[in-house]
Amino acid sequence: MTKTIRIDGNTVPFEDGQTIIEAATAAGIYIPHLCHHPEFTPHGSCKLCTVNVNGRNCSACTFPAMEGQEILNNSQELQADRQKITQMLFVEGNHFCPSCEKTGNCQLQAVAYHLNMLDSHFPHFYAHRELDASHAEVLIDHNRCIFCTLCVRASQEHDGKDVFAISGRGINKHLIVNAESGLLKDTDLEATDLAAHICPTGAILIKHTAYKVPIGERIYDHQHIDQVSLAAEQNK
Amino acid sequence: MLDIVNNFTHFFAHESCGFCTPCRVGTSLLKNQLDKIVDGHGSAGDVVALEELCALVKNYSHCGLGQTAANPIISTLARFPELYQSRLKKISYEPGFDLDASLETARQLANRNDAAAHLTQVEQD
Repeated sequence: MTKTIRIDGNTVPFEDGQTIIEAATAAGIYIPHLCHHPEFTPHGSCKLCTVNVNGRNCSACTFPAMEGQEILNNSQELQADRQKITQMLFVEGNHFCPSCEKTGNCQLQAVAYHLNMLDSHFPHFYAHRELDASHAEVLIDHNRCIFCTLCVRASQEHDGKDVFAISGRGINKHLIVNAESGLLKDTDLEATDLAAHICPTGAILIKHTAYKVPIGERIYDHQHIDQVSLAAEQNK
Repeated sequence: MLDIVNNFTHFFAHESCGFCTPCRVGTSLLKNQLDKIVDGHGSAGDVVALEELCALVKNYSHCGLGQTAANPIISTLARFPELYQSRLKKISYEPGFDLDASLETARQLANRNDAAAHLTQVEQD
């Protein structure tokens, strides 16, 4: 007999070793997330995938599925709080969707739409962040970094390099690159590396490709992130 | 007492490691929001917003630091709400300048101090 958990009243089968988000994805249930990627070690930092497991809040991307779990995912309260966490990400950095070349392809923007976020709610920090355009093919705009560490993990676990890291503490946390000069051009990053493509926001961009796909024909222009995300992650 | 709460809140914002969103951003938001109220720039709505933010940071943070960072505010809001209320800006209309003082020179020049020389700026209750 297969083991099962219950998500919003639906019975969902799982295998030993699966996390809640893996079991949910396999069953076609979308749990909002930004720092989770099925290929890499779970991180559990963005907290968007928070679900209520038997009365306690847990990150679905790190919490193992276990027999007897009664999970709330799509409750009004959780969705409202996920929206506020997304708003926190927006006020922390400087995210100007209309002038960002990632608009329409951006997971942060798509999650915000999915959660019906209509304003930033919290006062903006107006953080002073730098831009690193030193690399010939890849650009880092620190204004849009949400510290999901996907580029860090992709570089280490997929590209076999060690280009990125997160440095600093608290609100002063920031993305750094592995070069004495601190500039991207002095690292061994190439535009073909997965780390250069995995950013869920517009923080790491490939140069000279900005508007090759026009606005209106982009990933999230016609599809919601739940469909896109499930389709992509179920194939993995 | 608010000074102690404020000290704790600044401490936790400084100590947050920044791993998870609710604590990294939340403790700094708490700090700014509490400063606003303590400095006398808050209104009743800001206390409600502070309370909501406390619940968010407490319920969604990854570790014990974030889960307890809002406790000084939560417990004082529950037991000593008047501490916060007394720091709030008055909601009723507050004149931007002192009309009476401005008219004083004119009164002296005109040499009159009768009732008609005194305009009421704020409606009397």
